[in-house]
Amino acid sequence: MKTRLLLLLSLVLLLGVATACVAPQAPAGQPVEVTKIVEKPVAKQIVIYNSYMSDPAPREADEALVKMFMEQNPDIEVVHSTVAHEDFKQAIRAYLTASTPPDVLTWFAGNRARFFIDKGLIMDISDVWEEQGWNETYPAGFRALSTVDGKQYFLPASWYWWAVYYSKSTFEKYGLQEPQTWEEFLQVCETLKANGVTPLTIGTKYRWTAAAWFDYLNMRVNGPEFHINLMLGKERYDDPRVKKVFTDYWAPLIANGYFIENPAAYSWSEAIPFMANGEAAMYLMGDFIRDSYPQEQVDDLGFFRFPIIDPNVPVGEDAPTDGWFIAAKAQHPEAAKKLLAFFGSKEAQQYMADTLGRLPTNMEVDTSNFTDAQRQGLDLIQKADFVAQFYDRDTTPEMADVGMNGFMEFWDNPDSIDDILARLEAKRAELFGE
Amino acid sequence: MARRINLSRFVPYFFLIIPLLIYLIWVIGPTIYTFYLSLTDWDGLSQPHFIGFQNYEKLFRDPVFYISLKNNIKWLISFITIPVVAGLALAMALSRSIPGERFFKAGFYSPMVLSLVVSGLIWSWMYHPANGLINSVLRSVGLDFLAKGWLSDKNLVIWAIIVVAIWRQVGYVMVLYLAGLAGINPALIDASKIDGCNAWNTFRHVILPLLTPVTVIVVVISIIDSLRAFDLVSVMTRGGPYNSSSVLANFMYIEAFNNYKMGYGAAISVVLFLISLVFILFYLTRVLQDELEY
Repeated sequence: MKTRLLLLLSLVLLLGVATACVAPQAPAGQPVEVTKIVEKPVAKQIVIYNSYMSDPAPREADEALVKMFMEQNPDIEVVHSTVAHEDFKQAIRAYLTASTPPDVLTWFAGNRARFFIDKGLIMDISDVWEEQGWNETYPAGFRALSTVDGKQYFLPASWYWWAVYYSKSTFEKYGLQEPQTWEEFLQVCETLKANGVTPLTIGTKYRWTAAAWFDYLNMRVNGPEFHINLMLGKERYDDPRVKKVFTDYWAPLIANGYFIENPAAYSWSEAIPFMANGEAAMYLMGDFIRDSYPQEQVDDLGFFRFPIIDPNVPVGEDAPTDGWFIAAKAQHPEAAKKLLAFFGSKEAQQYMADTLGRLPTNMEVDTSNFTDAQRQGLDLIQKADFVAQFYDRDTTPEMADVGMNGFMEFWDNPDSIDDILARLEAKRAELFGE
Repeated sequence: MARRINLSRFVPYFFLIIPLLIYLIWVIGPTIYTFYLSLTDWDGLSQPHFIGFQNYEKLFRDPVFYISLKNNIKWLISFITIPVVAGLALAMALSRSIPGERFFKAGFYSPMVLSLVVSGLIWSWMYHPANGLINSVLRSVGLDFLAKGWLSDKNLVIWAIIVVAIWRQVGYVMVLYLAGLAGINPALIDASKIDGCNAWNTFRHVILPLLTPVTVIVVVISIIDSLRAFDLVSVMTRGGPYNSSSVLANFMYIEAFNNYKMGYGAAISVVLFLISLVFILFYLTRVLQDELEY
């Protein structure tokens, strides 16, 4: 008797599982429900938005934007999740290939977006560009950055500049001026060093901060055209021009002790305190340094263009552009497009520019309230002959991984540069084919 | 009557159906699929193409593979010696009733309670070259030359991480040995004393042989733990600087999820699986044997 009862019980359990799978479809056939929906003001549409803006200040602004959108569109519910930046980069493949991907995602413009667009994973949003009049209100350069085969897939949201940031008070204390040329820069370093201040702080735990040094030195020494061709795999890493960057410019900085000790032990933001407390004076960094710098000291932060090494070489700058796109398989394309249209609007762009100090892509944004820093940054980029994205955005992820490991190894052991470059060249040949 | 017996025989299987299905779909299935993926060039997005053993050929020529393997071996050797000896010593000391014995037991075991991620973070701060606990103490007692960049020096970094793993493991081994010691019949120890053994001889010729089954399990667990080491490396260095603290699991993770070489990552995990399998099989046969003995 007992065994029969058990058998029955297990059958019931199994049936329960089976029916649970079918259950959600059941109410669909009941027309009575419709009246109920009419009674409510509006049935809420849903749009799923995954964002990598995980640093405190951008996160707050991002959340504020979503809130503004929901206030204007009470019929749409935004399901917003923020994922830590590094984790997001690794998870995006799973997001985009899932059968029910998030609708709207943050991502990087340029090659990194192109990679997914080429695989057909991103939705064509030319209609949004058309309707919103972005073809006129966005500069041609940003439009080109978002376009593949004549169609727009990306919304460039904001961009920021890279520069050498410095502590104004430290510079004042030792009577230093912003250096324009490499000689002046070395002189500044020497003076600081002589006064017991480490000239440059850097945290290379996640390696990309070192890649910024390579980007700038290579662009200043060999020009942006050579640099971007190297990124695209069209130039060789064992080229003597590349070696010169390491041996003639980068190695002396390390050998002279111009960088802080043990940079590999710190993440980029963990290296900030050295500068804030006056032990170090300068940091080659993107403008987001402002978000993580001690708030009461932000006004002490100045920046200057990475010094010119060869005046005959065109000036290249790193100005990474972030933005949004919609997954090709998005479940709620209409609401997603509405959200994107809002993100690209003058209002949203103005908000981001005012709160975070990033530079807006939409030309309608009122720039009269811009801070001095924003004006200076805008000027920096407008004067550049060429704008690159960044080392790990301009080349492929795998090349960037091997390349950045190479930079770290060089940092530890500058004499092994020939071996390192030979290894990078082997990787380049493997990835881009000869 | 006969029919009823048949039914009752099936009942356990009814209950097992769901867990077995889950196990099949989420454990066995992916394992087999990983073997297949290791023979493809899958990048996580496109259709995988079959490329034979190319991933394995590449792997055996990859210097990072050998760095990672060496680091796993360093980890393994440290793990089957230091925590085992230290854990046994602590267990011997704490198995007799001494004042505060419970406090010490709890104290030595407590690192095990923390998640690996938390341990990794805490030690990262202790290793901080400028303001960390370790370097601050060394500097304050005038041993400046010993204050190193623990996690940024390519020769030190893997040892700095292994220390954390050992710190965590000692308490665990201690508890296993304490359980083993509790199972020894005190009459045997009394007998050895009556026969004129001193403390060392009692330990060497009576206690240690009786602990052999525990020792085998401790060693095999340590080997398996050291082969699947990942969390501490991932949290503390991500395998850096330039791969010098990479271990196989971390190498696999970077290749698969950072460089999007899923096929290559699968090949690494297959190799890691095969190495682990040797020890796991040894462990399982040993455990089954023991069960039969008792």
